[in-house]
Amino acid sequence: MTPSFLLVLVPLLPLLAALATVIGGRRLGPRAHLPAVVGIAAAAVVALSLLVVTARSRGSAETPRPVDMVTTLWQWATVDDAYAPAHDSHAAVPGTAVGEDAYSARPFSISIAMRLDPLTATMLVIITSVGLLVAIYSIGYMHDDPGYPRFFALVAMFVFSMSMLVAASNFLLVYVFWEAVGACSYLLIGFWFQKPEAAKAAKKAFLVNRIGDFGLAVGVFLLWLTYGTLDFHDTLSPDGTILPGILGQTRLADVSGYVGGIVGTAICLLLLLAACGKSAQLPLHVWLPDAMEGPTPASALIHAATMVTAGVYLVARSAPLFMACPGALVTVSIIGTTTALVAALIGTVQNDLKRVLAYSTISQLGYMFACLGTGTLLGFTAAIFHLLTHAFFKALLFLGAGSVMHSMGGVIDMRRFGGLRKLMPITATTFLIGSLALAGIAPFAGFFSKDEILASLHSKGWPDVHHSTENGHHAMIPELPSALSHSGTMHDVGYRGVSNYDNHSSSHQTSDVVGLDALNQPAVWKALFWMALVTAGLTAFYTFRAVFMTFTGPLRIPDEAGDHAHESPSVMTTPLLILAIPATFIGFILFTTDGLAHFLAATPSFTTPSIVKTATASVFHWDLAIQGTLAAALGIVIAAVGHLGRRSDGPQLERWLGPVRPFLEHRMFIDQLYAAVIVKPIEAIAFLAAIFDRSFIDRSVRFVAHLPLALGSVVRQLQSGLLQRYALAGVIGVLAIIVFLAWRL
Amino acid sequence: MTTLILLGTALALLQNGLVVGAILFSLGLIGILSRRNLIVMFLSAELMLQGISVSLVAWSRYHGDFGGHVLVIFVLSVAACEAAIALVFVLQAFTRTGRLDSAAWQTLREATLDRSVDHEIPSLDTSTPSFPRLTPAGRSPDTDEHAGMQRDHV
Repeated sequence: MTPSFLLVLVPLLPLLAALATVIGGRRLGPRAHLPAVVGIAAAAVVALSLLVVTARSRGSAETPRPVDMVTTLWQWATVDDAYAPAHDSHAAVPGTAVGEDAYSARPFSISIAMRLDPLTATMLVIITSVGLLVAIYSIGYMHDDPGYPRFFALVAMFVFSMSMLVAASNFLLVYVFWEAVGACSYLLIGFWFQKPEAAKAAKKAFLVNRIGDFGLAVGVFLLWLTYGTLDFHDTLSPDGTILPGILGQTRLADVSGYVGGIVGTAICLLLLLAACGKSAQLPLHVWLPDAMEGPTPASALIHAATMVTAGVYLVARSAPLFMACPGALVTVSIIGTTTALVAALIGTVQNDLKRVLAYSTISQLGYMFACLGTGTLLGFTAAIFHLLTHAFFKALLFLGAGSVMHSMGGVIDMRRFGGLRKLMPITATTFLIGSLALAGIAPFAGFFSKDEILASLHSKGWPDVHHSTENGHHAMIPELPSALSHSGTMHDVGYRGVSNYDNHSSSHQTSDVVGLDALNQPAVWKALFWMALVTAGLTAFYTFRAVFMTFTGPLRIPDEAGDHAHESPSVMTTPLLILAIPATFIGFILFTTDGLAHFLAATPSFTTPSIVKTATASVFHWDLAIQGTLAAALGIVIAAVGHLGRRSDGPQLERWLGPVRPFLEHRMFIDQLYAAVIVKPIEAIAFLAAIFDRSFIDRSVRFVAHLPLALGSVVRQLQSGLLQRYALAGVIGVLAIIVFLAWRL
Repeated sequence: MTTLILLGTALALLQNGLVVGAILFSLGLIGILSRRNLIVMFLSAELMLQGISVSLVAWSRYHGDFGGHVLVIFVLSVAACEAAIALVFVLQAFTRTGRLDSAAWQTLREATLDRSVDHEIPSLDTSTPSFPRLTPAGRSPDTDEHAGMQRDHV
């Protein structure tokens, strides 16, 4: 079993499961979950083995090398000589010097290629393992639902699409599966399509995502125009020369391999727009809270753990592109941090348990973007680290919320129940563990990943402190994984490249057309750091507000629950218990061993010289840890003061917010703003268009339709039904012919 | 000279034949355009056919070519067949409407047009005619009811 075969197996098994469920789901009846659970479980095992394979081929810790295994399945849609730029294009696009032959005419062919590298292996493990636990949980949660087979078919389909998205080695394939996960998300949000809110939410998610997808499409077009290929990996052209892929070793090693300036910034901002749509970042975040209308397991899998992290994955994957555009990078951070803060603020006053978690997801994704934008190796690995821990503890929280909802008869408003810790001890305990992880309390997973995020922001805001305390980053370089460490000679080229890159990027900073690069200065990063720290406190507050309102105080059960308010069946609590294990330990293990950071550093995208030179030794920042923990503790204390032991429908702490509270409760009126600025004008245009359509276009069509009728009403007079008239007409006709012929003769 | 005279008589013969044919044709045409009785219209059509036949014979004789004669024989035989078919149609039309008036078929006109009326046909006398009857006399004959119910031979 070669790694490439295993790699194909990961998406293939869920795909087969989905097809089997589609074909035989009704026949399987209450056992319709079997294909999906078995298929995803097998895929999870294969993904774990791939993780081992990748880790082994990374080389020893002393001489790490980038891991990049590409499996090309087949070529699709080959067009010869599609890319034939003018001869002076080399001069027109600055910073593209990957050999002259890179700019000769070349075919456009989409290679259906899958890649295996540390980033992909990590993502595959997250997707399949969370997917498996969610699928098992759904057996209990979705039982007796009329759409039972449909649900499992969609979940398996989603796991297939998502694993293809992270395994694709081509921007066009990424686009295809970007759309595929969006479609699965749409279908799962609208799973109960008889509910008008669910149908509306699905439509909203799809339309808002369309804006991001537009960005991805245009970004891919620009990438093709700029780089002449869409492949991540290097390919061999028929004449034996190497065509450098966008994220291939050749271009990564080249100091001027990436386009900066206005073209590069445009590409990066378009990719960022796509990421904002999928990962619900600030202007486009409105769909995610509404997406909670879907079944809770789908929310846990798609709208918390995996699909929404696709944007983070995309930015991390395209890291070298962003590195060439400092302005775009700082934009990523600004959007991320602002989103984190805004979503956390809104989350503090939500009363719907799932919506609190939804805003928390937006906020945590904002964290990931914040540290992606730092453009340091620490930042990129911290984002993936947080992605990993967040996937587990947020899936745990969502499944816990689903368990509460299941036993409360579908009620999810926290003001209507309370004191459930005696009633559902397993759910309460695991939910508490998830909350501690989310709040960032010391031994739990979220603490370590959040600490790394704060550290990456801090190192940009106070660069001097980090350089002096960390022994200088120059001393670290020889230990670092590098794209160029295949051989000694390449090494030398690489270090010359680093210095070249410095000149290169600085020249671009001066020629910054967009004006975004001006934001890349310590003062901005300091502000972002403080925003992130405030967000950490807010996160702890809203999380524990939810915990206290749901699980403490006197026992209250809504009428809808009836007499079956009880702990969920073991098929639902077992996934909770399993998820609680990584939510507790994975952060500590990965941080102390530093395994994930070293592992991810072998990802080709992170081995470009501009990223490698930002590498620092992994140091536990006591000061930052204390600051973060203090913020979280403060949040928890305030939540305890306001909500611990109180009746959950009693007066709430947030009433002290005064006029700010309705502002936050209405989600900062962003939906209303969109309605006023975009929806209403479009409706007005549609209204005018309808009038124009009916009064002008329809009328002209009807006029044309009336012409033959009018002509017919004249000719119709001839059909009198009188034989003599017909005979006369015949005679006259014959006479006319005779006269005509006589005239001619 | 004799040839000229001969030619003159041949021309005169052709002329006469053609005039008779034309008269027959015109009579038929007038008949078919002016009469409403289906049978009379059919007869008029036959008249037109015979007019053509006469002129064919006239031309045939003038040219000394028997092709025209042969054609006329064909026309006659075909006309005989056609007459049978046409009379069947007329009969069917009569059974449908109960009258031979071709104007009865103007119900096939466009729905939006008005009915054209020139002379209303007097409505048929639908009352059963009363025939003279003899006064019943003598005794009523014996009838074997049982025998009436059965057939004694096939």
